Amino acid sequence: MTTTSRTAKARGPRSRFRRRVAGAVALGIGLLAVGGLYAGLVPQPQVATAAPGDTAKVAQGEELYNNSCIGCHGSNLQGVQDRGPSLIGVGEAAVWFQVSTGRMPLARQEAQAERKPTLPQFDPHTEEGLANLEALGAFVQANGGGPELPAESGELLRGPDPARGGELFRLNCASCHSATGRGNALSSGKYAPTLDPATETDIYTAMLTGPQNMPKFSDRQLTPEEKKDIIAYVKSVTNGNNNPGGNPLGGVGPVSEGLVVFIVGLAGLIGVTLWLGAKN
Amino acid sequence: MTTSESHQQRTPTAAELEDMTPDELATLAANLDDVVVVHNQRKFPIPGTRAEKRAERAVAGWFIISALAGLAFLGSFLFWPWEYVAPGEPGYDLYALYTPVVGGMFGLCVLALGIGVIAYVKKFFPDEVSVQQRHDGASDDLARRTVMAQLAKAGKDVGIARRSLIKRSAGAAAGVMGLGLGIAAVAPLVHNPWKERENSPLWHTGWRETNGEVVYLRRDTGHPEEISLVRPEDQEAGSMETVFPFRESERGDEEALLHALRKSDNPVMLIRLRPGTHVIEREGQENFHYGDFYAFSKICTHLGCPTSLYEAQTQRILCPCHQSQFLATEHARPVFGPATRALPQLPITVNDEGYLVATSDFIEAIGPAFWERKS
Repeated sequence: MTTTSRTAKARGPRSRFRRRVAGAVALGIGLLAVGGLYAGLVPQPQVATAAPGDTAKVAQGEELYNNSCIGCHGSNLQGVQDRGPSLIGVGEAAVWFQVSTGRMPLARQEAQAERKPTLPQFDPHTEEGLANLEALGAFVQANGGGPELPAESGELLRGPDPARGGELFRLNCASCHSATGRGNALSSGKYAPTLDPATETDIYTAMLTGPQNMPKFSDRQLTPEEKKDIIAYVKSVTNGNNNPGGNPLGGVGPVSEGLVVFIVGLAGLIGVTLWLGAKN
Repeated sequence: MTTSESHQQRTPTAAELEDMTPDELATLAANLDDVVVVHNQRKFPIPGTRAEKRAERAVAGWFIISALAGLAFLGSFLFWPWEYVAPGEPGYDLYALYTPVVGGMFGLCVLALGIGVIAYVKKFFPDEVSVQQRHDGASDDLARRTVMAQLAKAGKDVGIARRSLIKRSAGAAAGVMGLGLGIAAVAPLVHNPWKERENSPLWHTGWRETNGEVVYLRRDTGHPEEISLVRPEDQEAGSMETVFPFRESERGDEEALLHALRKSDNPVMLIRLRPGTHVIEREGQENFHYGDFYAFSKICTHLGCPTSLYEAQTQRILCPCHQSQFLATEHARPVFGPATRALPQLPITVNDEGYLVATSDFIEAIGPAFWERKS
């Protein structure tokens, strides 16, 4: 009510100017708000384009690719018959998993690409190796997009609920990797590897990209939170974390444990019996 | 062992018995049983020596260890932090020791008690060698005839031989009780799987449509009460997901939701093949898939293990128990191993809300063979 009375009082050329300024400001605020809402609400288009700042990195990645990968994956990442698959759409997550664990470049064509010592220029423990991995990932990402690396790494990728992670691990992963991540045989010489040497990022990218014969687990099938819980579970049972008795006995459960109890326990019982019956 | 010889040997009179010391009475008892003590050496002939004291302390020591371990067991059982702590988090070492401490203390309690008893026997029981005469053959004629006559007379005196009513009713009571116990032991093992005739659970799974309700495909998120339905865009090409049945009437019913995830014939592998994969459909099941989505029962047709080792490159589904292998691109027919039948395929489609649903139950019985199965 007071505003109407005030505007009524201050009518004149000056108030017109003020009204124009106010109109321009309101229009500006409105445009900014709409623009901000648009930017915030409308999703980024799923088009694989390298950010301008990444051009140098992509070029470096292309050079690395031409040196190490081109023989099997082709000059345009299209793949080479009987040598290597197309890399279009595999994304930087696949590059990280395959190259940082030494699986790629492949030593020879065989049933399984095994984990082996990483090429020195791709060693994730060195700064140069990390930069090269990033560059190669950027190059592959720039050619067809695909799953990206998680924003976090290391312990930040471990979820808060390893018990639920264990539930999901037993449902989705344990059939091949065994309940405590020991790995297991597949058909015709292939196998699911043990999860002891895998880092958090390795496990995450493996779930995302489905390397070799592993199925893919998209973020809508296993949400990032579920993936992190699974990683927390894996980390809680691998690398000797699940053996309060001092020796995991292979980590395969009651078979080896039963055998050891049978042999050691029975021998112990026989020893005690002999001691009981012995004369002084 | 009273034999005629020992009776003849020595039969002390009442007066003689009165005069005997407890030691002599014990010796007499052995002699009456034809036992001769050849050698009896006390461990500590002179009481109160230092060696005896040491032995006593050693035995008492074991008992005290046992008692202390028992107290430690009780204390750790009640107060030790037992709730789960992930490795690397503060308090993990303490938590990880819970089971070893509780088990170790209880074990030490029992073990030390046993060792104490045995140490007592070994340290304080005298070294003794005794010989007992062994009697060959049967008892003598006199003993046998008198015992039999005694039994027969007892039977006649209590009248059981004449009272057939009591004999028979007692027999009936005992027999019925025995029969009852036997039935109670065996009956839980006897089931008639065909009690429900054509509705028998051997023919149907949790995917069967009931009351005309839509059966959705649902994933297990680790929280049984959480309902996460499956849409085609959730899965990448070259992936596999285990799905379970869900009906709207189960919403909010935690028991039914959990049951759907745990019922042994419910798990289904939903496989999304890569586009363009060459697929051979089974005759009569050409419309069971939805696009690149194929749903197969997870239960092996050999012995019912979960066959969830899906190889995304070779399209094989492996059973970990006996290495049966099924080809996902050829209606999951067996290509290796002991399984002889293809994994049953669940007919699926997408409803107008965009969710994957089952159009019907499996058209054949899932899992291992049974007598009534025709195929």
